[in-house]
Amino acid sequence: MAGSTPASAIADATDVAPVGRVGALGRAPRRRLLRRILQTPAGAAGVSLTLLVIVVGLLADLLAPTDPLVPAGPPLAPPSPAHLMGTDALGRDLLSGVVYGARTSLVVVFATGALVLLIGVTVGTVSGYRGGRVDDALMRVTEFFQVLPRFFLAIMAIALFGPGLDLLVLVLGLTSWATLARVVRAEVLSLSQREFVEAARASGASDTRIVVLEILPNALPAAVVYLGLLLAQVLLLEASLGFLGLGDPNLVSWGYLAGQAQRFLRVAWWLSFFPGVAIAFAVLGLNLLGDALTDVLGGRR
Amino acid sequence: MTGRYVGRRLLQVLPTVAGIVLVGFLLIHLAPGGPIIALAGDSGDDEYYAFMTAKFGLDRPLPEQLATYAGNVLRGDLGVSYIQGRPAIDVIAERLPATLLLAGTALVGSSVAGVALGAWAAARAHSIRDLAVTSAALVLYAAPVFWLGQLALLTLALRTGLFPVQGMTTAGGPETGLAWALDVARHLALPALVLASQEVAAVARLTRAGVLEELAADHVRTALAKGLSDRRVLVRHALRRALLPVVTVIGSRPGHLLAGTIVVEVVFGWPGLSRLLLTSVQTRDTPILLGIFLLVAATVVLANLVTDLVYGWLDPRIRYR
Amino acid sequence: MGRGWAGWLMLLAVLLAACTGSEPGTAESPTATRAPSPDATATATDTATTAAPTGEETPSPTQTAAGGGTLVVAISSDPGGLNPAITTSGGTHTASELLYNGLVDLGPDLEPIPELAESWDVEEEGALYRFHLRDDVTWHDGEPFTSADVKYSFEEVLLQLHSRTQASMGPSLESIETPDEQTVEFRFSQPYAPLLQQLNVTEAPIIPRHIYEGTDPLENPANNEPVGTGPFRFVSYTPDAEIVLERNPDYFEEGLPHLDEVIMRVIPDEGSQVLAFEAGEVGWLWGVPGPDQERLAADPTVEFLQTPVNPGGANCIMTVSFNLERPIMADLRVRQAIAHALNRDQFLERVLFGQGQVAAAPISSGIPWAHAEGLDMPANDPAEAERLLDEAGWQREGDGTRTAAGVEGVDDGTPLAFTFVHFPTFSAYGELLRAQLREVGMDVTLVPLEPPVFAEQVFTARDFDTNIISYCNATDPEIGVRRMYHSSNIGEVPFSNAAAYRNDEVDRLFDEAQRTIDLEQRGALYRQIQEIAVAELPYFWIVETVGTRAYRSSCSDFQPSGHFAKTASCEQ
Repeated sequence: MAGSTPASAIADATDVAPVGRVGALGRAPRRRLLRRILQTPAGAAGVSLTLLVIVVGLLADLLAPTDPLVPAGPPLAPPSPAHLMGTDALGRDLLSGVVYGARTSLVVVFATGALVLLIGVTVGTVSGYRGGRVDDALMRVTEFFQVLPRFFLAIMAIALFGPGLDLLVLVLGLTSWATLARVVRAEVLSLSQREFVEAARASGASDTRIVVLEILPNALPAAVVYLGLLLAQVLLLEASLGFLGLGDPNLVSWGYLAGQAQRFLRVAWWLSFFPGVAIAFAVLGLNLLGDALTDVLGGRR
Repeated sequence: MTGRYVGRRLLQVLPTVAGIVLVGFLLIHLAPGGPIIALAGDSGDDEYYAFMTAKFGLDRPLPEQLATYAGNVLRGDLGVSYIQGRPAIDVIAERLPATLLLAGTALVGSSVAGVALGAWAAARAHSIRDLAVTSAALVLYAAPVFWLGQLALLTLALRTGLFPVQGMTTAGGPETGLAWALDVARHLALPALVLASQEVAAVARLTRAGVLEELAADHVRTALAKGLSDRRVLVRHALRRALLPVVTVIGSRPGHLLAGTIVVEVVFGWPGLSRLLLTSVQTRDTPILLGIFLLVAATVVLANLVTDLVYGWLDPRIRYR
Repeated sequence: MGRGWAGWLMLLAVLLAACTGSEPGTAESPTATRAPSPDATATATDTATTAAPTGEETPSPTQTAAGGGTLVVAISSDPGGLNPAITTSGGTHTASELLYNGLVDLGPDLEPIPELAESWDVEEEGALYRFHLRDDVTWHDGEPFTSADVKYSFEEVLLQLHSRTQASMGPSLESIETPDEQTVEFRFSQPYAPLLQQLNVTEAPIIPRHIYEGTDPLENPANNEPVGTGPFRFVSYTPDAEIVLERNPDYFEEGLPHLDEVIMRVIPDEGSQVLAFEAGEVGWLWGVPGPDQERLAADPTVEFLQTPVNPGGANCIMTVSFNLERPIMADLRVRQAIAHALNRDQFLERVLFGQGQVAAAPISSGIPWAHAEGLDMPANDPAEAERLLDEAGWQREGDGTRTAAGVEGVDDGTPLAFTFVHFPTFSAYGELLRAQLREVGMDVTLVPLEPPVFAEQVFTARDFDTNIISYCNATDPEIGVRRMYHSSNIGEVPFSNAAAYRNDEVDRLFDEAQRTIDLEQRGALYRQIQEIAVAELPYFWIVETVGTRAYRSSCSDFQPSGHFAKTASCEQ
């Protein structure tokens, strides 16, 4: 492997071993996979938590009792039947805020995930398949992006270009693809040397065909697993930025809610508690899911 | 460890550093309003603009600008903060020690505790205590650090009065000597604890996994068969080898740790870089922002380098590659 | 954390007792509005000229404490410098006014009280003011205070950099003469009524000529190591952390100050300030957040001081400005609709927690002779707002945002969306305004900007649709109100005429009021101005704010001004 430093060599040796060949995209392996995940307590918890957040986010309009931006009750009211999570200083319902916050988190996570997947898979695949000088060059670039401190770069970008969801997704996406690329590369490298790839090459298939049809489907699972863990970190990052008041002020986000809570900590513990719980659940769900997938897909031996 | 190895590693750091400087340069030039506005602000006067233009060579062709900028940065000259009217590097240097104290304490504490906890859990894998450690780690890892901080503040500082509520020192309190150090330590306790708890989770998880893997290895089983006691096996054989990935993980934490430090500083009113960072964002004081960014990036690069060197020292196989 | 920590911590906890003394803290501006309110002036209602002042000193404090002590004060942000003459920023003034003096202070009823000037004569019906300065005042570095310091401070600094001084007396001030070291004469081109109201340490602090002359006042290092004449002198300034002041033993007011030390700690977060206060780490708060007031009030050792006077300025009204140069805002009906759509009581309740009052007139009730009563202010009436918007050509489908249909200067189909620029500390106002205007089909985008950037964007670039500013009226409408409405104040000077309001009649009325000495006549003129303003709505006045200070009963005798601690003392 072309890992240039011991540290990166370790990073290359990921937890995930290649999955068995998924040639015909049969349904059976998928269903078994899901069942195996759900059989472990961690897996079950992970799936349910993640699913909960997704559903809440998607159905925000239906689930939220009121408009999260409009005062709906007495200010700083503790949790009660009327307002299950209490209200904030302006009298806005916190439950609605948390529900719509889920939606914002979904948007951030999916958009960033898409960007990261796009860049990371492309770079990792090309690097792992081509090898040689291309691989070296791409790995240099990847290492560089790995080193960039995401949080501070995001803060700088926000300072210069103003807060906004699109900027955030762009910055987070551009700084998070590197490790995914390494994971994909490791997978692709190992897969490229397997017999079925040799066979495909021998039968005259073009490189593109081999990559797309043979390698990618086998490499993606590992990538997706890592993506889950990565997105958990992205979620935490976005929450921290929101907490610091650097998020988009025209959107409801969990981090922003928690940041508002800092002033009223003494008198309104719920303002800090519930958004924090929401974030923790989402991140926990993604982490558990990632761990369960790792175990089920081969994991450590 | 050979000098050549060290030398090679140092050389490999250079392109990274160059890249980071380039990123800073690009950001200045891409910012709306152009580089002068980015560096010198909207409401500076002509004299100040002229000064900054000269310092950063902003009226020169681009490659020359880059060279000037890189030269400035490497000399530690980051420009003059127009809000404070002082060199940015001075302003940052003032705030830095407090942040380093907090981050450093958390790093050391979490590394020690994380390794200890992880090994402890691995010694009795799948037992109750293992389950406890892994679950706790999982939850701590998922909880946002500002939330942990706010909860800690509420429960440990407010309700019980065990810890001070904010700041690094007590106003009007001791200014020098042991009394001052103790005052600072007392204020440091809770923020460091909160910050460390996140890191502990990550380190513990990895140590546990590493130790488990080593315990299952052949030579360890041989040692066990030979009749050595559990503990000695664990420490001498498994832990040493398991330290390798742990060192890597610890070495990769500084970037993440510094981000967490900023947040914890805000929650506890710790007078470090966070306040500087946040005011600079709102006032768009780019020299300061750039300075902090470059500083953090340099720290991460340095941490990676140190990690590699320590790794090389720990694992003889690596040196000769 | 390693195992050893727990034990060590317990040991530490045992070793260390609670902190020393009562340590008050200050935040700068009133509740929920921590922003450095850029304008605030001392209060003054009485501008009638007097041949000589009452000659009274500030009443000696009723002694409850033994005197002395250290006061720890919480402030919300780093002042960025300790020279109050070069800025109207509340942050700088809060931290530095104790170090300086003005010529004339203002008493509780806003009557002039001697400070650096021990007496004065008003001649030529207010076109000439002669001040007789004290001869026993020295600067903190030992140099004597003379009339040259006054002349320098005004000519080179205040008239150039202090926005309210510039805007008010600048145009009509002809010259400042110093016939001798103890006499200063202000000569105006026409009678200038309000002068005595704007000579205190907030409006016109006097800085030392021997340190500043020949240098750029904005850059002089003395801004970080100040030398003044005030009751306290400078010890140290750790940026973003702490400012330490100590008693000035040579202060010219006998027996003052009592406190030995004033320490200002920077605690940006309001909640943390309250926590610090409750923990005894801080002993004076400049503002108590609404939700904490009830709890603190229940504590018998906590005292409050509520006042509309702040070191940054007095009689402040949270005011929404409309950028009249933008087509959407140029339409009076839209502005009226916004006014009717806003529920100002809700602002008072939710943002200020009941502290303060809804603004009944464009001029603050803190200036009773000028505050107009019974004006036809737009009431909270969403139905009327919707009707006006329909009439103005803004159509609405269902509950969504309105779109233009036949609006002058606006393409059909453009949504009724506009920006609202504000200091980050005023974000609650923005959020509430956004929510209230949503109900009638307006889409507001919030743009939080820190003061320097705000000033640049609003006053220089004029890039905004609406904004909110804490316009402090001060103690005389000439000082803090004129600059909002007079067309000569449209321009780059921050916190002047944000709306770009132009009305010749209003200009004329202001000019006349400045020349008129009789209070009743002046009041009538200002009433006319306010009636026009309410009809034309270049601004909309939301709430008058007050500051609620808090301190421990072990301290006493604070004043509601920038010299808040001059007469105070704390038991140890």
